[in-house]
Amino acid sequence: MTTRRQILQSAIAPLIVPSVVLGQRAGAVAPSDKIVFGGIGIGARGAHDLSKLLNIHDARFVAICDVRNERRETIKSTVDQKYGDHGCRMYDDQYELLARQDIDAVLIATGDRWHTPLSIIAAQHGKDVYCEKPCSMSMEESWALADAFRRYNRLYQAGCQRRNGANFALCKELLKSGALGKLKTLYANVGPSVNWPPLPSRDWLAAEELPPRTVLDWDRWLGPAPWRPYHSSYVSGGWRNFYDFHGGGILEWGSHTVDLCHWAAELDDTQPVEYEPVGTNVGPYRVNCKYANGVTLVMRDDGWDGSLKTGSCSFRIEGDKGWVETGDATKIECSDNIKPLLRPTESAALALENHVKELVRCIRTRQSPSASAAAAANSHVTCHAAFIAYQRGKTLTWDPARREFTNDEIANHMRSRALREPWRV
Amino acid sequence: MPQTVPPAPVPQAAKPKPPAPPPEFQEGGISKMDAAALVRILDDGHSPEFQKAKACQRIGELASKEAVPALSRLLGDPHLSVYARHGLEAIVDSSADDALRAALSSLKGEALIGIINSIGKRRDAKAAPALARMILGTDAGVARAAAAALGSIGGEASVRDLQAAFAKTNGATKMAVADASLVCAERLLAEGKRDQALALYGSLSTPGVPKPVRLAAMQGIIREETSVSRPR
Repeated sequence: MTTRRQILQSAIAPLIVPSVVLGQRAGAVAPSDKIVFGGIGIGARGAHDLSKLLNIHDARFVAICDVRNERRETIKSTVDQKYGDHGCRMYDDQYELLARQDIDAVLIATGDRWHTPLSIIAAQHGKDVYCEKPCSMSMEESWALADAFRRYNRLYQAGCQRRNGANFALCKELLKSGALGKLKTLYANVGPSVNWPPLPSRDWLAAEELPPRTVLDWDRWLGPAPWRPYHSSYVSGGWRNFYDFHGGGILEWGSHTVDLCHWAAELDDTQPVEYEPVGTNVGPYRVNCKYANGVTLVMRDDGWDGSLKTGSCSFRIEGDKGWVETGDATKIECSDNIKPLLRPTESAALALENHVKELVRCIRTRQSPSASAAAAANSHVTCHAAFIAYQRGKTLTWDPARREFTNDEIANHMRSRALREPWRV
Repeated sequence: MPQTVPPAPVPQAAKPKPPAPPPEFQEGGISKMDAAALVRILDDGHSPEFQKAKACQRIGELASKEAVPALSRLLGDPHLSVYARHGLEAIVDSSADDALRAALSSLKGEALIGIINSIGKRRDAKAAPALARMILGTDAGVARAAAAALGSIGGEASVRDLQAAFAKTNGATKMAVADASLVCAERLLAEGKRDQALALYGSLSTPGVPKPVRLAAMQGIIREETSVSRPR
């Protein structure tokens, strides 16, 4: 007998109209009809994603995998408490979780170094993926990610939830409608360099005594990242701003706001051709980018919740007839001529819930979610190019079709990083 | 929909400072060194592990072929192998391929897997015969890496080797062989060898092929046969 799960995973799934779309079923969802999720590496941010997932009535979270015993226990406790049972299984090996045939999709919220390798392994096991950002550690990983999800016809939703935020969508709509006129400049605000310097440290912290493997598997925690001695700071979130684990402020926040710019301006299939770094590692800093069509993209750390108080992860669109800017504070600031076109929107805080729901909906319909692997790869390649330009300290020119810098060979050598054995993409 | 009143944005305060790296773990001037100085660090038996790691990373940026011998000597080091491979992967010169290929016969376990992964990344076709043999070896991790590398190398010889290996492998290794075959099929399509690609997709659409790959191959056929851009 063919099951619903088999049909969902099949190549003909896009041709089938599910009964929920036809409105044949309202209210309760049979357990066998739920989209089943597992999770890998869920800490503070992942728990926020998970809280939204647990509230979706036609999804079910059944398994957690983590290299840290304490985190496995915490997530299991959260999930079991929500469902009122003991059904959440714990794993310390991702392959065991991914081998489960009943799991449709996985939530990946590990450190950045694991995002691409784990997402690809999940796709190879037939799973759809929700993955936190930044989605990749290099340009090479970005391309491998998009290739794998196309190859396996699996769905991928990058954790770029503002694509499902109403205030952000209204700004996109204003651009598309022509109200802003011809697009001139996009501003992607990135976190201030006081906390998110564009150049992460290449140093190591002093070695500390390794905890027992039952408490923390340091080898698995490092995963694809180059080896270094253990320090407790790394595993409690202090891995950020170290080059081997992190892409600095540009990747940390550009993965959100450059992504927003590409989405709003419908530039999901290209990247800027020029990257000019300006400023210092202690800020303020900018990377001025130009697309082949003349549109400018400015990544800047001095606009983050700046004078307009539009909140974190804000972006701004300037056309020749007007401008708009919005962020996590929900409110939209704009030029006077645009004000009559504004309407109230729901809170930006609802974007994450909408984003997770979109993936669950797409898993049923097999339509591509808004933050697909291809779109994420594109915005991440843009961020990596800016990051490389900043490291090189010079203006770089980029050929999107040939995927190479045209004026700096060293920059081309920085398009990939070796992964620690046995990992690969 | 009524506008929800958001909380007032709070200016971002500086986060607590992370622990300071000790002097012996600070990159310092290594990031500006030229290839000769970097090679001297690698060749000096008294150089600390940290300095060697950073020297390898800097070589990876410069891609200096004169560093190949020094990098090659680190390939068996459990901590530094990944750094040495990072250096070698960037070097365009064929001496880097020669060094990686030579390591195939001297290393085992995860170090060997790393070498195979780097060979796959560089698409060194001269390594293909050795990789084809490794798929049938006893170390499952090595076998899977060898299959993936053959997939990256691509070409008709790799397709033949992978198809031969498919019948002789099982479990996760069979899955890796099938995955590598999918990669080969895509490469054939990109090279304009449509008939060969479709034949490969067809062979991967049969019972016995791991389900994710089987479905991917079927999708590959559908995508190709229904492509509006395909000349008819």
